[in-house]
Amino acid sequence: MSARTRPSGRLDPRRAALDAGVLAWMREADWRADEARFDALARDLFAFQFERCAPYRRFCAGRGRTPERLGSWREIPAVPTGAFKELALRCFPAEDTLRTFRTSGTATAARGELHLDTLELYEASLLPSFRRHLLPDLAAGARLRIRVLAPSPEEAPDSSLSHMFGVVLRELGAAGSGFDVVEGALRADPCLAGLGEAAACGEPLLLCGTAFGFVHLLDAMAARGKQLALPAGSRVMETGGSKGRARDLRPGELHALLEQALGVPAARIVNQYGMTELASQFYDSVLARPGEPRRKLAPPWARVRVVDPETGTDAGPGAVGSLVVYDLANTGSALALQTADLGRRLGDGFEVLGREPGAEARGCSIAADELLRDGPG
Amino acid sequence: MSGRAPAEIRERLAHLRRAGAELRRRPARETLEALARLLDLWRDPGSEARRELEAGLPRATGFSPAVVREGLARGLAPFSGEAFRALVARELGPPERLDGAGAEMVAGFEVTAVLLAGAIPMPSLLSLLAPLALRSPVLAKPASRDPLTARLLARSLRALDGELAGCLELVEFPGRDSGAAGALLEADCVVATGSDETLAAVAARVAPPRRLVGYGHRLSLAAVGEAALAGPALLSLAGRLALDAALWDQQGCLSPLWVYAVGPGPEGADRLAEALAAALAEVETRLPRGVPGPAAAASIAQERAGAELRAAAGQRVALHASPGTEWTVVREADARPRPAPLHRFLRVHPVADAAELLRAMGPLGPQLAGVALEGFGRDEGRLARALADLGASRLCRPGVLQAPPLAWPREGCAVLTPLARLSRFEAGAG
Repeated sequence: MSARTRPSGRLDPRRAALDAGVLAWMREADWRADEARFDALARDLFAFQFERCAPYRRFCAGRGRTPERLGSWREIPAVPTGAFKELALRCFPAEDTLRTFRTSGTATAARGELHLDTLELYEASLLPSFRRHLLPDLAAGARLRIRVLAPSPEEAPDSSLSHMFGVVLRELGAAGSGFDVVEGALRADPCLAGLGEAAACGEPLLLCGTAFGFVHLLDAMAARGKQLALPAGSRVMETGGSKGRARDLRPGELHALLEQALGVPAARIVNQYGMTELASQFYDSVLARPGEPRRKLAPPWARVRVVDPETGTDAGPGAVGSLVVYDLANTGSALALQTADLGRRLGDGFEVLGREPGAEARGCSIAADELLRDGPG
Repeated sequence: MSGRAPAEIRERLAHLRRAGAELRRRPARETLEALARLLDLWRDPGSEARRELEAGLPRATGFSPAVVREGLARGLAPFSGEAFRALVARELGPPERLDGAGAEMVAGFEVTAVLLAGAIPMPSLLSLLAPLALRSPVLAKPASRDPLTARLLARSLRALDGELAGCLELVEFPGRDSGAAGALLEADCVVATGSDETLAAVAARVAPPRRLVGYGHRLSLAAVGEAALAGPALLSLAGRLALDAALWDQQGCLSPLWVYAVGPGPEGADRLAEALAAALAEVETRLPRGVPGPAAAASIAQERAGAELRAAAGQRVALHASPGTEWTVVREADARPRPAPLHRFLRVHPVADAAELLRAMGPLGPQLAGVALEGFGRDEGRLARALADLGASRLCRPGVLQAPPLAWPREGCAVLTPLARLSRFEAGAG
């Protein structure tokens, strides 16, 4: 455990018990989607958050939802992610805040904030998911060289993504692991030298980063006329969009370019879906379930509903709807989040279709978020 | 089409240059009169062109038939032949100038490419007619969301004036076909409508001396003074503002997104929000909104929930909304701009006075198109000038935002002269 996480034992007893229940699940090797267990934990957590977060309590009561009147976890009112830009949604005293993660944003856009009084669940949630979806073949106790196309947690202390990468490097990174974005810019030459060295010695590596970090890497490689063939067993993890920070590529285009430039097959390129407001992440299934259709999978302690935005009910199979996430690791804030993303259900997982606010605009009014647009997460 | 398209487009540009040269052999007045007749035809609800437009647009664009009917009636009303003649006279002078008579000469470019966007027909109509008024032939790429307006216009022209009709051609290709787009952008003048990103991409490919006339995505607002925040004046105002928002489902750059209640107390904003909600509910019965896509519906749901939560946090925020996503009014606690999901989603912001109003609108200045104003009494003129200084190109009463005059200086520019080449013959000088 990191020295900067706060043991649950120092939290108030009710919260500590909730954390302990979720932590126990996270530490189990067997990932079973236990509906009854999820429902029980979600109800307890909802009751806690209903009691401890006054705005959320009034929000739920306004919708006629109270712990006593809850049919199932599916009825827990979801907080819109946009609300984190305006309200401090926490279930603990402000003075107990240990860390605040912020969404990325432009100079004019407000930034969302997630306040945490412990990092224990955050880290306990991210590691098993990361290992299962990126390193399923890594033996217990083994490490892998990991390069990250994102700033370090020291450089970006309020970035949840940088924190995640920092924890991953600390727990799973072998010698030669590190960050290749320094002072906000990709250090292309050292990065490419490191990748070239790995390619020469045949040592597989994991290359992680933001989509726009990868776009910059691809541009740097193109400018240098460089192509690499990373060793067999290497893999790539990319996350977030690139709009506004680099030329905008669709995920399929990005994967095809990465395959060509790095010599990593698309089946070993994993997209992560996560956001500052969530403690848990969702990954493409390609490494964890090779040979099956690509889809995002949730850990057992999280659920994703695809909701018809007109009715709030579950969208039909294959239908596009809003993604609503229920994450038991969010014990200190809100477990149910209404995201701004669209998606659709795919078997036991889901597909993220993004937001594209202007895509449906029929006129010349400025698109909904164009004026106030956040930078990519 | 991708492989052949660039060559085909270049061939059509060359053909149009020849057609333009032919057109310029006849007096300019003939061309202008034909265009004036065309506008009168389109204004006439009984004309075949208008009936086809009304019948076809709902399916092509997703707007409800009632919105299309009402939107066309109001939007085309100021687009008369007479208004067109007046516009030409004001901006270009007598038609003979186009024929090279006198010391001040006016001409269009040899050929103009027009990239249309959006599904509202009036801006498309004007973008196509303006170069033709200067006898610059047009190669146009219709909007993907409205393939109908340009096609019907070409047909109307054929019926009115065959030679002029030969100066308008349409070309369709996928938006991502950069080869075809590059060929189209080889025209001497380019008129483009789209987001700032689209316009920047076009600008990078249209270098001087060729000319780019760009129309970006813009937004409109409304400001209501104390005199209109109570009683019958409020009811009247709310009905007109609701119409402004409902027409074209709040998708036009002249659709108001945020309404500022200017007055000393918070109650004015409460009353305005309530009145707007009632008015939008009433408008929905007459002019039903089109069905939004999932992204728009999701954005509305997200913003409604955000408002509920801010209210639950103790802010003076109120959500007024239809059971579905048909209309929404959020009474905000402050003047901070928040996302506008469009599709009939209005926010009402309280501001204490005109100074706070201008501070709130200040950052929006570069994106401003229109501001509807009412209830400011003798201060109205001063406020209008301040808003014009911020960047608004249209200041008007609520209820007429969607019916701009033909001569509206969109983006602060004249309608015809940006497309013209002006020359001055100074025979006696020196």
